[in-house]
Amino acid sequence: MATPDQKSPNVLLQNLCCRILGRSEADVAQQFQFAVRVIGSNFAPTVERDEFLVAEKIKKELIRQRREADAALFSELHRKLHSQGVLKNKWSILYLLLNLSEDPRRQANKVSNYATLFAQALPRDAHSTPYYYARPQTLPLNYQDRGTQAVQSSGSLGSSGISSISMCALGGPAPPPQPLLPGQSHQTLGVGDCLRQQLGSRLAWTLTANQPSSQTPPSKGTPNAVSRSMTRSRREGETGGAVEITEAALVRDILYVFQGIDGKNIKMSNAENCYKVEGKANLSKSLRDTAVRLAELGWLHNKIRKYTDQRSLDRSFGLVGQSFCAALHQELKEYYRLLSVLHSQLQLEDDQGVNLGLESSLTLRRLLVWTYDPKIRLKTLAALVDHCQGRKGGELASAVHAYTRTGDPYMRSLVQHILSLVSHPVLSFLYRWIYDGELEDTYHEFFVASDPTVKTDRLWHDKYTLRKSMIPSFMTMDQSRKVLLIGKSINFLHQVCHDQTPTTKMIAVTKSAEPPQDAADLFTDLENAFQGKIDAAYFETSKYLLDVLNKKYSLLDHMQAMRRYLLLGQGDFIRHLMDLLKPELVRPATTLYQHNLTGILETAVRATNAQFDSPEILRRLDVRLLEVSPGDTGWDVFSLDYHVDGPIATVFTRECMSHYLRVFNFLWRAKRMEYILTDIRKGHMCNAKLLRNMPELSGVLHQCHILASEMVHFIHQMQYYITFEVLECSWDELWNRVQQAQDLDHIIAAHEAFLDTITSRCLLDSGSRVLLNQLRAVFDQIIELQNAQDAIYRAALEELQRRLQFEEKKKQHEIEGQWGVTAAEEEEENRRIREFQESIPKMCSQLQILTHFYQGIVQQFLVLLTTSSDESLRFLSFRLDFNEHYKAREPRLRVSLGTRGRRSAHM
Amino acid sequence: MVSGRGTRASVSAAANLNAVRETMDVLLEISRILNTGLDMETLSICLRLCEQGYNPEALSSGIKELRKVPEALKALKM
Repeated sequence: MATPDQKSPNVLLQNLCCRILGRSEADVAQQFQFAVRVIGSNFAPTVERDEFLVAEKIKKELIRQRREADAALFSELHRKLHSQGVLKNKWSILYLLLNLSEDPRRQANKVSNYATLFAQALPRDAHSTPYYYARPQTLPLNYQDRGTQAVQSSGSLGSSGISSISMCALGGPAPPPQPLLPGQSHQTLGVGDCLRQQLGSRLAWTLTANQPSSQTPPSKGTPNAVSRSMTRSRREGETGGAVEITEAALVRDILYVFQGIDGKNIKMSNAENCYKVEGKANLSKSLRDTAVRLAELGWLHNKIRKYTDQRSLDRSFGLVGQSFCAALHQELKEYYRLLSVLHSQLQLEDDQGVNLGLESSLTLRRLLVWTYDPKIRLKTLAALVDHCQGRKGGELASAVHAYTRTGDPYMRSLVQHILSLVSHPVLSFLYRWIYDGELEDTYHEFFVASDPTVKTDRLWHDKYTLRKSMIPSFMTMDQSRKVLLIGKSINFLHQVCHDQTPTTKMIAVTKSAEPPQDAADLFTDLENAFQGKIDAAYFETSKYLLDVLNKKYSLLDHMQAMRRYLLLGQGDFIRHLMDLLKPELVRPATTLYQHNLTGILETAVRATNAQFDSPEILRRLDVRLLEVSPGDTGWDVFSLDYHVDGPIATVFTRECMSHYLRVFNFLWRAKRMEYILTDIRKGHMCNAKLLRNMPELSGVLHQCHILASEMVHFIHQMQYYITFEVLECSWDELWNRVQQAQDLDHIIAAHEAFLDTITSRCLLDSGSRVLLNQLRAVFDQIIELQNAQDAIYRAALEELQRRLQFEEKKKQHEIEGQWGVTAAEEEEENRRIREFQESIPKMCSQLQILTHFYQGIVQQFLVLLTTSSDESLRFLSFRLDFNEHYKAREPRLRVSLGTRGRRSAHM
Repeated sequence: MVSGRGTRASVSAAANLNAVRETMDVLLEISRILNTGLDMETLSICLRLCEQGYNPEALSSGIKELRKVPEALKALKM
């Protein structure tokens, strides 16, 4: 149409309206008003005025639509345009064209339009809102639900969205059917409303009625969303009695439910612990179901929230728990972020009613899709929360770790992230413990527990224990024991050994700072990273500890000293001591004084090789008098003692020392028997010559000898057994283990094993009580023999003496010229001799009884030996009865030994 | 013919007119490629409005809205 060059804008606008609407000027008054306001309202554009940018956009759009040829064409045209230089405001027109452009393949891009919508911070059209709100009120509203399907809906769908499914494409009269009309078929109720609110159809409010819903092909895509809220319509008066809930209202409710707040229609039902849509609401089943499905998210959120809220009030929850709650909070924050985006989307729709097409508004379906990933996350978190109820500390970490064992990589990465946060406190405890030996664990979360009531002397054994429940599942038992040991060693060094060497010197491996990402790395290479650190710390610390113990406190030296003195290792010293002590110890126990005995001890030390020991050791050697029972001689109460203190006392604890003393007692007794028998032998030697002149005694003496020999053999074998089989072997083993020990626990264990072995082999444990009693009985017999022998010798020697005296006297008399022997003297002498000779059979019988008794006891002993479980004892029985002397007499010993060389205990 | 606002007296009227015509052709082509649905006259009006400095965003939204009216009216009549 030919117009003058310069036209006023209004006129232009009017012309525009005429053109577009296809009607005469008169009719377009309304629209014209409207257009004026729209167009005139915003003079300044919100987008940058860059022509090239716009051209690029256009090209991109074309390319996106896979119309590269057109894109090339456009470039060409643009170039031409540019070269012509006719237009001043190229940007403007290009922008306009871009806005008005439509993608022929509109339906595919619906969802992507959403993205663009989201991405834009500002609305494309900055219209003043009241205008749009005002409009509907001028027109009557009509809700007819089934209304406005098909064409109408398609018309209304063609809203002024940015990328609209414009029905007026290409200016054609009949809009092509929109195949993607959202599944109206399943929405019986809520649909009608949604259609009303398109601004375009505001002019056509009355059209509601008669669109058969069947016209719309059902679709599976995004539903015909309610872009306008129901509330606005409600404001304008409601028709229809029952409360209908539109999808929009549901969406709003759902958004509240997502945060755990009850919506208008969807409320939490505590009885069933789920969200339910109010029963009386008129809602299609599918909507209801979808709403309930979405409400699950709210339920999950509530669960997690409840947990974190509860826990934050709990003071004794501990560090691990706090970090767990913090991790949960972080996740919830992300969730809230999503919710706020959704909310803003809803707001946007409210505010910008006009411009958002249905495809860019929130629907339940869209929510379903968008919240799918968050739902999985929340589900995982809720499962974690459930699993971790009531746990704290290392247990909590274990619980979280259990959840990392899943095949789903998404879940695994989520849980691993949480795990790394949660285990950070545990790891920091751990590192502090193994590098500094410090334990600051107010909430009892760490798996090493410290008992504050324990004093330093029991530090090693009792003060630190493992709290097994708190061991996280990513640490093995072995590792946790090592950890305990390391910290214990450090504390031991600090407190007991008074070694304040800072840890850094001790440990060659420098401790690196432990940032949280270390924890994350840890779980990618779990075993090795941990193991390496712990092992390194363990080796260094233990080595250092052992060094200190050996060098500064001479632990091994003391161990050897124990062997020498308490276990009678230093033979010459013991022998000398016994020699010196003999006259003292035969006295009754009550008459003994400790200082006397100590003096004797010192004498013994000085006189033997013991003097060359270090004074430190000799200082600790002492005499101890055991409790006195009535009738005890000194032999029964005497004992040596070795004082231990400081770090040594950790290895040689009081129980150990008491074991040592018991063993000493046993060994001392055995030694004493040996000693006695040597005395007896000595007596034999000495007196044999003297008594050769008394032939009548020879029988007795012979018997004595025999018995003594038997006893000597017995004691000899016992001593052999004790010395070699028991002491030497065990000591060797102990020494080897101690030399190879890697930490103090090993030494303590080896030492205790040593003591156990000795104790049981020396028949001192409870199982061998019977044997021990037998042995004691044997010893008693030996003492009896000694006594008897002494008596015999005394009598014999006295007799000898008398006879010699008699002879002397006779000689003297003869020398004096008298009768050598008077009749009376002779008579007396003969009487005496006869008396003596009569006493001999008594002696004989006494000895015989003794022998018999002794042999009986020994046989019993042998029987018990052969049934014992210890092999070396069984071998002892062989040695004791090497020539089957006892076997001949004891029928029980003749029973065959069975396959294992052992007689059964029941015979 | 629409006379483009950008031309000034320095160019001869005929050349000017030619240039303008060409520009319009180009623009029409572009508009066709982009499927805007604008015919020549509407396009020229829009062009003039834009050249006068109106906000193209507002303009485009207005046009879109206006486009919806006929359909609505049509449906109304039905």
